[in-house]
Amino acid sequence: MSFPLSYKPLLSRRTWQWLVPVLCALLFLATAIWLPYQAQQMESIERQEQLIADTLWVEQTIRFQLGRNEDDIQSLAHEIAAGHLTNENLQSRMRFLLRTHPELTRITWIDAAGQTLASDQEAPLASQALPESLRLKLARIRSTLAPEYIQHDPPKDSRHPALMDYLFPIQQGGRYIGSVIATYSLGGILEHMVPWWFAQKNEVRLVDRHERILGQRAAGGIGRGVYTYAHDLHLPYADITLRTDSVKGPPRLLPNLLIVVVVALSLGLFWSLAALWRDVNRRMAVERALREQVAFRTAMEDSLVTGLRVYDLNGRITYVNPAFCRMVGVPAEELIGRSPPMPYWAPEILQDYQERFAQRIAGRIDSQGFETIFLRRDRTRFPVLIYESALVDENGRQTGWMSSILDISDRKRFEELNRSQQEKLQASARMVIMGELASTLAHELNQPLAAIISYTTGALNLLADPDACAGEADMTLIRNALEKANAQAQRAGHVIRSVHTFTKRREPHREPVNLSALIADIVQLAELQAKQYFITIRADVAPGTPAVLADPMMLGQVLLNLTRNAIESMRDMAPERRILDIGAASDPLAPGHVNISVTDRGCGIPQDARERLFSPFFSTKTDGMGMGLKICRTVVESHGGTLTYTDNPGGGTVFRFSLHAASSAKT
Amino acid sequence: MLHIVDDEEVIRDSLTWLAQSRRIQASSYAGVQPFLDMLDAGYTFSPEGDCLLLDMRMPDMSGALLFDTLAARGLTQRMPVIFLTGHGDVPMAVDSLKRGAFDFFEKPFNDNKLMDRVQEALQASLQAGEQAQVQARLDSLSAREREVMDLILEGRMNKVIADMMGITMRTVEVHRAHLFAKMGVRTAVELARLLK
Repeated sequence: MSFPLSYKPLLSRRTWQWLVPVLCALLFLATAIWLPYQAQQMESIERQEQLIADTLWVEQTIRFQLGRNEDDIQSLAHEIAAGHLTNENLQSRMRFLLRTHPELTRITWIDAAGQTLASDQEAPLASQALPESLRLKLARIRSTLAPEYIQHDPPKDSRHPALMDYLFPIQQGGRYIGSVIATYSLGGILEHMVPWWFAQKNEVRLVDRHERILGQRAAGGIGRGVYTYAHDLHLPYADITLRTDSVKGPPRLLPNLLIVVVVALSLGLFWSLAALWRDVNRRMAVERALREQVAFRTAMEDSLVTGLRVYDLNGRITYVNPAFCRMVGVPAEELIGRSPPMPYWAPEILQDYQERFAQRIAGRIDSQGFETIFLRRDRTRFPVLIYESALVDENGRQTGWMSSILDISDRKRFEELNRSQQEKLQASARMVIMGELASTLAHELNQPLAAIISYTTGALNLLADPDACAGEADMTLIRNALEKANAQAQRAGHVIRSVHTFTKRREPHREPVNLSALIADIVQLAELQAKQYFITIRADVAPGTPAVLADPMMLGQVLLNLTRNAIESMRDMAPERRILDIGAASDPLAPGHVNISVTDRGCGIPQDARERLFSPFFSTKTDGMGMGLKICRTVVESHGGTLTYTDNPGGGTVFRFSLHAASSAKT
Repeated sequence: MLHIVDDEEVIRDSLTWLAQSRRIQASSYAGVQPFLDMLDAGYTFSPEGDCLLLDMRMPDMSGALLFDTLAARGLTQRMPVIFLTGHGDVPMAVDSLKRGAFDFFEKPFNDNKLMDRVQEALQASLQAGEQAQVQARLDSLSAREREVMDLILEGRMNKVIADMMGITMRTVEVHRAHLFAKMGVRTAVELARLLK
């Protein structure tokens, strides 16, 4: 078995079916891989941006704070210029400023010459103590009259904070009269101006243009160097850059369980997809094998000549194959679901089917098979051989009965042909033997008869001859001839007697014969021929029928002859009429006798045949010898009975004879 | 003479008796061989004619075979054969009839009818004998005599014959005298009757 190419497009369709989910899964996997990366990137950018924004905001804050400080310093300077501040007041103002602005470490008023006039400190700053850079600046702002920031070099000793000065010129009437110097601790700026939450997340540094650290705050730990930002503080004449460095490291590729789960799930998805693919492949292979099997089986069932039929447990037909439908000529649709009586049951043996059906329901099945007759839709009959077996499902439970039905018409025909051929052969053999016998007998009788005729004719001739009859010599001749004729007649008589003794030797041997058994044997013998013509033989031996005293062989021959005649008389009748009855019952009129009858529903005995019916060599059959009925009558008569026949009221003929019952014969 | 060939003694005896009751001379033979022996011993045909009653079925040689032998010797005219058949030999007998047998009778037969046929056969045998004699005489004629005889039978006078044959009348008369003597007749009328 092979399947046509129509499977190829199916395969490609299958590929298409699989392509979409596989592509989806691949896409999903790619996304699952790409997404964390992308998320990392985004997070990184976002953090960077956040850092920038925060840094800018911090810078703004610092600038804002410094601006406010500048304002305070400016107002202080203005008040100094106005000159209405006492030294104490000035001192307290300076202290107040330092208190409120912890980033400031020192405020000093110096005059134009660089002498310290007032300071928050007890010890005023000596002018020579002013650093070189500060003095340069002071000299510059004397001419520019613009405030400036001065950034000190970072101290060598890290314990001292890096400092930055704010110089504000004090002018009176456009004349420089001194400066206010506010000294910032850069560390303090970071300490007090940067909000704590920012410091917590970032390391904050102030560096000069040589990247020297001026101030540092790392409350949340050292920066990782991943997210960094630098921004100039834009202080006039000071070159200070604010550097922030986030304490957060780079975002991890698989930052959380979710991603792990997603990847695991997608792997699981792939695995299950592969498993599904494998399973579907296996399933399809199985399906294809199954389909092939089904197609193979269907083809087998369709091409089968044996009919198949399945009954369920209720006796309903659940399956028939085409061969069965062809056999009975009824389409499957009309058969499936049918309960008995079935449309293919021949009405005359309905009872047989029903009995068999009941047996089947009762669970008794003849595994040897049995023969019966089915009816086609066109009412013709045909013999079938049926084998039955229980139908058992995979759980070992019986679900019905399976029957295989063979149409044995041909076999029957062949058997019948064989049998009739055999019979013809036997008949012709019998003919030859009988012919031989008759020939011998005829010869044996012919010789003496011919001689007798010759002698007597010769004698008569002499007696009629007037010339010859006179002499004594002639009389002697005539006597001689008559004596010879006499001897020949005796010889003929002897022949007849010897034939008689020969037949006498075959005097029937008598014994009690059980009619039921004998008739059953005969029915079995005749069945073969009967089935050929769909004739039903019914044997009916009345209960209590006694045994008869007879030669069983000869009585059997009589019954067989009568049965065969009956079968042959019915072969052209309508099928419903083809019923042959063999009956036996005690004779109600003659006690001690048993009546035996063979009844057919055939064509009857034509009027012109009745006279010679029992004559030897008379037959209505073309190949008949004409000895059957003659022998029957002889045998019946030798048993002390009479063979008679009457017309069957329903058509056909009844042959009847009676025999002595065995018990009555003994008494 | 009636020749009876049958293996059954009773049949031979009864048929001989029957023939004698009809005044027919009869001799019987127990089989084919004794009969052939008798023929070969130089049998001369009987003046009353001959007839053979032949049983179809005999142990030594079948009647049909004997018939064939006789036919081969050209004797079936001088000795007509009547077959006696038993049962079932009828087709064989009919076949013989076609080949020249005189008749056949099925046993048991009507004896007088048989004897009637026997007598007819004897007559036929006699006639066949005569015809054989005439033929022998005709064969003894010379060609010239035969020529003359044919013209005489045409009813021509001696003179006419002499003219037709281109011979003298005297020679015709000599031929005529010779052929009359040979044919055993004295007149042309007798000659014509003999040859009719």
